Amino acid sequence: MTCREYQHQISLFLYEELPEDQQPGLESHLQQCDSCRHAFEEEKGLHYVLAEDAAAFDIPSDLLVQSRHELANELDQIERKRPWWRIPTFSVVFTPMRLLESGALIAMGLALGVYVSNQRAVVAPPVAGTTQPESGFTAGLPANGSVSNLRIVSANPSSGQVELAGEIVQPLRFQGSVGDDTVRQLLVNALSDASNSGSRLRAVEILAERANEDTIKNALIQALIYDENSGVRLKAIQGLRPYAAQSEVESAFMHSLQHDVEPGIRIEAIEALTRNSRDAHLAKQLEPFTRDENNVIKMRALQFVGTNQ
Amino acid sequence: MEAILKRAAHRVHDSEDEKLLIEQAQTGSREAFEELVRRHDRDILRLAYHMLGNREEAREVYQETFLKAYRSLNRFRFESSFYTWIYRIATNVSLDHLRKRQTLREEISYESDTESHPDRPALKDTLAATTYYSNPERRLYGKEVGERIKEALKTLSEKERLVFELRHYQGLRLKMIGEIMGSTEETAKNYLFRATQKLRAFLTNV
Repeated sequence: MTCREYQHQISLFLYEELPEDQQPGLESHLQQCDSCRHAFEEEKGLHYVLAEDAAAFDIPSDLLVQSRHELANELDQIERKRPWWRIPTFSVVFTPMRLLESGALIAMGLALGVYVSNQRAVVAPPVAGTTQPESGFTAGLPANGSVSNLRIVSANPSSGQVELAGEIVQPLRFQGSVGDDTVRQLLVNALSDASNSGSRLRAVEILAERANEDTIKNALIQALIYDENSGVRLKAIQGLRPYAAQSEVESAFMHSLQHDVEPGIRIEAIEALTRNSRDAHLAKQLEPFTRDENNVIKMRALQFVGTNQ
Repeated sequence: MEAILKRAAHRVHDSEDEKLLIEQAQTGSREAFEELVRRHDRDILRLAYHMLGNREEAREVYQETFLKAYRSLNRFRFESSFYTWIYRIATNVSLDHLRKRQTLREEISYESDTESHPDRPALKDTLAATTYYSNPERRLYGKEVGERIKEALKTLSEKERLVFELRHYQGLRLKMIGEIMGSTEETAKNYLFRATQKLRAFLTNV
């Protein structure tokens, strides 16, 4: 095999896409070839830089909401233009069951109209300190909010009563110091709940500076273990690093070292675990990693186990 | 904790449940279609935003992708996963936008200032100095490095950019990327290799 072919393998190896049976050949070549070893080190560096950068590429938090809203409008227009015989309710009226369903749907639609014109939506009281929307409600719905996941819980065509359930999403704007309990709680909520990883990333960046507080530390541990975004996990591990000696943090780092799919996170985990430790028990735990397929982890584990066991 | 577990559970898509949703959507259920959209649209929007680099085009790709899916859902025959199918539509729409942009000779803008700074350390040094161990310098260089990476991504061809995007940022396996491209895993591997070589060459020569 040529060096170019080995360099092709390096690229796949770093993405964990190189078949296992080809890995010993690559490792053996890297031990002999300075040029390919240099390429390997350089590409490893590139991966790390790219991994850190990946988080900054996330979508702005409002973009998804806006896109969904626009799509819903487009679908509304398409449905309005659709001829009546192609509307699902009417297109399958030839079976008795469908006839019944269609009748029920028409009744529910009429009942919904009656209900919406007579009812007001029940909205949970705002969180203390939050800003109420300026405009009020129109036909029971917030003028500056949107309804999502709407479903019909029950419908009684004879009485005309329909029960609907869904979520009302309204804009929230809150300003305050990170020292404020409410701000910190909102950030912890954002870290665990925000669907947008860009928001979770910003939350973890702020919270990482305050990992000495138990609530925040626990939130960072949960993010490190469960968050699907590698940038968030990386920031969480960096925030937790000063507390690596604490048992719950050490357990979380061990979990990442064992299970994280991102090599960069696993490397951060072993570095955080071993940096200031002389623990013989940890050396025993790290013993399996002296045979790790990732060379950086293997070397670090060998070094630590060699000096501390 | 409960919320985290709930999110983790949501990530596991029940394929049978999804099959049912697709069938309902195929018979005209708007609710079923919107549930399918909600399951996949974050990934699609992220792909579009990364590929095009600005909000407006990302929104356009999002709209076009799901409207095409809505109009052609009856032609979906369960020969691939819905995920692969919708990604295939999204990548084609994204590539169309990139081509249109090239035709118009518009510059790719990531809504950021990418002017060079003579006093900034060469990325070559940053990469060389980058160990796998945390150090404050690396964090300081983070934003500047991010800007250089955006420049480097512009040197890739459409297909290289696409494969790199899907593998590196979206985390898809090369086998699936091959399927999405209507090609093979080997082809995807070659594009990925060329992309990483170009990025490395660009970044180490800046």
